[in-house]
Amino acid sequence: MSNTVTAGASVHRSPGDWALKVAPWVVLFVILAIVPFQFPSFRVEQFCFWMTLAIAACGLNLLTGYNGQISVGHGALFGIGAYTTGILITEFGVPLFGATVASAVVCFAAGILIGLPALRIKGLYLALVTLAVATLFPLLLEQFSAITGGSGGLQITSPQLYRGEMRERPIRLESPVAGLENDQWKYFVFLGITVVIFILSRNLIKSRVGRSLVAVRDNEVAAESSGIPVSQVKIVTFGLSAAIAGIGGSLFALDQGQLYPSSFTIVLSIYILVAVVVGGAASIIGPAIGAVFYGLFSDVIVQQMPDRIQPARAVILGVLLILLMLLAPGGIVGGFRTLQAKWSARRSSTHSSGLAVTGPSVTGPPAAGPEVTA
Amino acid sequence: MKDFLQILLVGIGDGAVYAMLGLGLVVIYRSTGLLNFAQGEMAMFSTFIVWTMWSLGLPMWLAILGGMAGGFCVGALVHQVAVRPVGDPHEKPLAVVIVTIGLFLGVNGAAQLIWGTLDRSMPPLFGRGQVTVFGVAVAWQKIGAVIVLGVMVLLFYLLFQHTKLGLAMRAVASNSESASLVGIPVPRLLMLGWGLAAAVGTVAGVFIAPNLGLGTNLMQLTLIFGFAAITLGGFDSLVGAVVGGFVVGALSSVMPRYITIFEKMPLAPAFILILAVLLFRPEGLFGKKQVTRV
Repeated sequence: MSNTVTAGASVHRSPGDWALKVAPWVVLFVILAIVPFQFPSFRVEQFCFWMTLAIAACGLNLLTGYNGQISVGHGALFGIGAYTTGILITEFGVPLFGATVASAVVCFAAGILIGLPALRIKGLYLALVTLAVATLFPLLLEQFSAITGGSGGLQITSPQLYRGEMRERPIRLESPVAGLENDQWKYFVFLGITVVIFILSRNLIKSRVGRSLVAVRDNEVAAESSGIPVSQVKIVTFGLSAAIAGIGGSLFALDQGQLYPSSFTIVLSIYILVAVVVGGAASIIGPAIGAVFYGLFSDVIVQQMPDRIQPARAVILGVLLILLMLLAPGGIVGGFRTLQAKWSARRSSTHSSGLAVTGPSVTGPPAAGPEVTA
Repeated sequence: MKDFLQILLVGIGDGAVYAMLGLGLVVIYRSTGLLNFAQGEMAMFSTFIVWTMWSLGLPMWLAILGGMAGGFCVGALVHQVAVRPVGDPHEKPLAVVIVTIGLFLGVNGAAQLIWGTLDRSMPPLFGRGQVTVFGVAVAWQKIGAVIVLGVMVLLFYLLFQHTKLGLAMRAVASNSESASLVGIPVPRLLMLGWGLAAAVGTVAGVFIAPNLGLGTNLMQLTLIFGFAAITLGGFDSLVGAVVGGFVVGALSSVMPRYITIFEKMPLAPAFILILAVLLFRPEGLFGKKQVTRV
């Protein structure tokens, strides 16, 4: 009994603090709820794509940001999720979101399969292997064109009632709610799934398992000697990360209704990585911010530029990646934390100026780099 | 049998080109300890420089020299502004990988901006002729690739083993801290290494472009073949890059022909090779074993 009281007291230090912590989230959710009603249908469709990217980036972040295993091949896992969903629906008549669950399971298995060699292959070399996977994946789709449709594409169809008879027709996410358009309904379904995945990842990272992920990243030997089953942690992380990327891919398939190998080249893997790095690796919300950044940049800003200079998109993103690594390795979230820390340090130093010596090393700001906080 | 020999020889010709790209990758690995994922894109960029000079009317050999010089500058510049400031690749692998991926994107986008997205055609350096050896027709272009590779290896050998500059570069590769203590200008030599690697990549690009058509994704598959070559040969071995290049070229030419599952993906044998070598013999055939100190 007393336990719960102290725990409660330590969380809610004062109502003001609590409000300050919750308010931004309330605002965010209100904005997210209004957005589909304020934008034309094609924008809402784009938002849906951004969410699939955010989910994939969330998965990559668990692996690369928190666990320190570098993957340049998450586009392939995203693709496995997408094609699993497409094939299950078209060939086996699996219900739409049932296929999403199955894709997560298939990608979990695929992740374990890639995670096994990753126990021996680390750092730069793991990056090389995953880069090769990403390059190979579109060719695999061509090779097995009997089931993937090859470069002709895979049209995802399901038997639907049409003019009084059952026919194979392109899948559609139809809104069961009277006031919602189909795209708005899709938006809210995707948003729900995205939010659940981000909350689950947050809980995972805050748990004992999450701390062992970070411990393995920071020092494998030390983690091993404090009793963390390093191999198990690394493999399961790979599986989970892949499963999440696969869910992103599955939603992508439901969103697009048709799949082509050219959507799953190395470039997709790079953009997932961009979302993680720009938003902030090893922060929960970072990948979502990064995905929104990427979406705003490539779907809104770049579209304003004349066709001839649109490849500048890749140049700008590339330069941005390099600059971030040199100037702000923590991405947007990391940069924000640094500012926050500086600000609170200044505030505390003006407050405590009359007091006895409190060196900044003791009360100083929390380190701003990629930390464990959400 | 004749059929097999034919395919094998084609593969060896391709392998010479993978080896060229591999040589550049090895030079960079030895000097800065990183796997340069942007190597292929840099080579594509300088191949476009060659194409531009050639289509402006310069003779091919001069255009190639110009492209190599351009590539050298790009490589040196990239090292100075992007790679060096990031720090030690083995301490911060993620940062280094992201920088090279950033370069990959940036260089590719820059090429699209300058030269557009249409494929250009480039004539084969050694013409379209063939010669018949033991009843098997071999394109002069393939033989030329092997010869050029041989010249390159000879030049590298002379540079590294018989010049003061090469000695200094080897010193930097084996221990950059001690090298800088004895007065070797380490950063300048690293820059030189990057420049050389990019210049070598140009030649690889010039050999591939006539086959595939010169476009901005010219080198994306070739890069993986190049990496497969140096993985097999050993990341720090120039000899390894050559041997690895030939083996990878032969495998990826022969296997898709006889094993149906590889039919449309000659990259698959190379991938399996990378995986197998990294798992069971990470130092490759000729590389130095890496020892981790706790």
